[in-house]
Amino acid sequence: MSRLDRWFEGMSRQSARRLSRRSWLSRFGGVLVGGATLPLLPVARAAEKHRLGEDGVKGLKGDPRRCEYWRHCAIDGFLCSCCGGSHTACPPGTEMSPVTWIGTCRNPADGIDYIISYNDCCGKTFCGRCMCNRNEGERPLYHWYRNNDINWCGGAKSQTYSCSTAVVVKAAKEAQPEK
Amino acid sequence: MKGLLLAMGLLLLALPTRADSYEEHDYILNCSGCHRMDGRGSRTVPSLIAMAELRGKPGARAYWAQVPGAAQAPLTDVRLAALLNWLVKRFTGQSPNPAYTGEEVKRLRSTPVRDPAAERIKIRDAIVR
Repeated sequence: MSRLDRWFEGMSRQSARRLSRRSWLSRFGGVLVGGATLPLLPVARAAEKHRLGEDGVKGLKGDPRRCEYWRHCAIDGFLCSCCGGSHTACPPGTEMSPVTWIGTCRNPADGIDYIISYNDCCGKTFCGRCMCNRNEGERPLYHWYRNNDINWCGGAKSQTYSCSTAVVVKAAKEAQPEK
Repeated sequence: MKGLLLAMGLLLLALPTRADSYEEHDYILNCSGCHRMDGRGSRTVPSLIAMAELRGKPGARAYWAQVPGAAQAPLTDVRLAALLNWLVKRFTGQSPNPAYTGEEVKRLRSTPVRDPAAERIKIRDAIVR
């Protein structure tokens, strides 16, 4: 016990002789502040661009609760991310419709067009938050399977529309409309 | 090493043909929304897996190109022919013989079927003599 005490005493006396308390405080403070500001540096922000999303698609995560988010380019409805779900999952108490309308959107992070499936979530009254109506590449009603004004909850157990998701299926061979 | 180079060369040769095939892309964009990715359909949409019931039946070949989903797809005749060849192989296990061509599809899709469900039963239950 006394040997351990002596060793500690020696160590602390030695450091007290060599280091001023203020120098230690300033260094410790530097580490604390420096660590916190590291993500603000351009290096950290550049690394963000190459991050993979939850479905393996490269790019800035963006804000799926905003209509401007790249996947929403052809959507018409309430964003499920604002309604208790996410852009890939339905809110609790609703069911994802098995039939859906499908379009393509260009991901600004990698310049690739992706096929997006806009599955509706059905079973609760309409969400009413984050209405988004961009409709790029949508077709008139006579191409009903490319139209988003019809109620795609037709294939679900309940036909009550609640909100829409935007699921990436895979990279597209070409953007809509086809040649 | 030589074998590896040869394999890489073959792979490079194979790449352009892969890049030109739009069948899966066209299926996802024009069919899968309603028939679903695996083709099993839903309560309101016919199953593509059930295409196997019509395999080899007289009239099936024309019928598959004339149903509204095929005939009215926003695809050129050539692209639709390629998609049909891919689709029939995938869901019946047998490539159409001979393969659909653009001209044939153009002719078929200009005369769509009026009652697809009834026409399907007629083809399925026809007695082949």
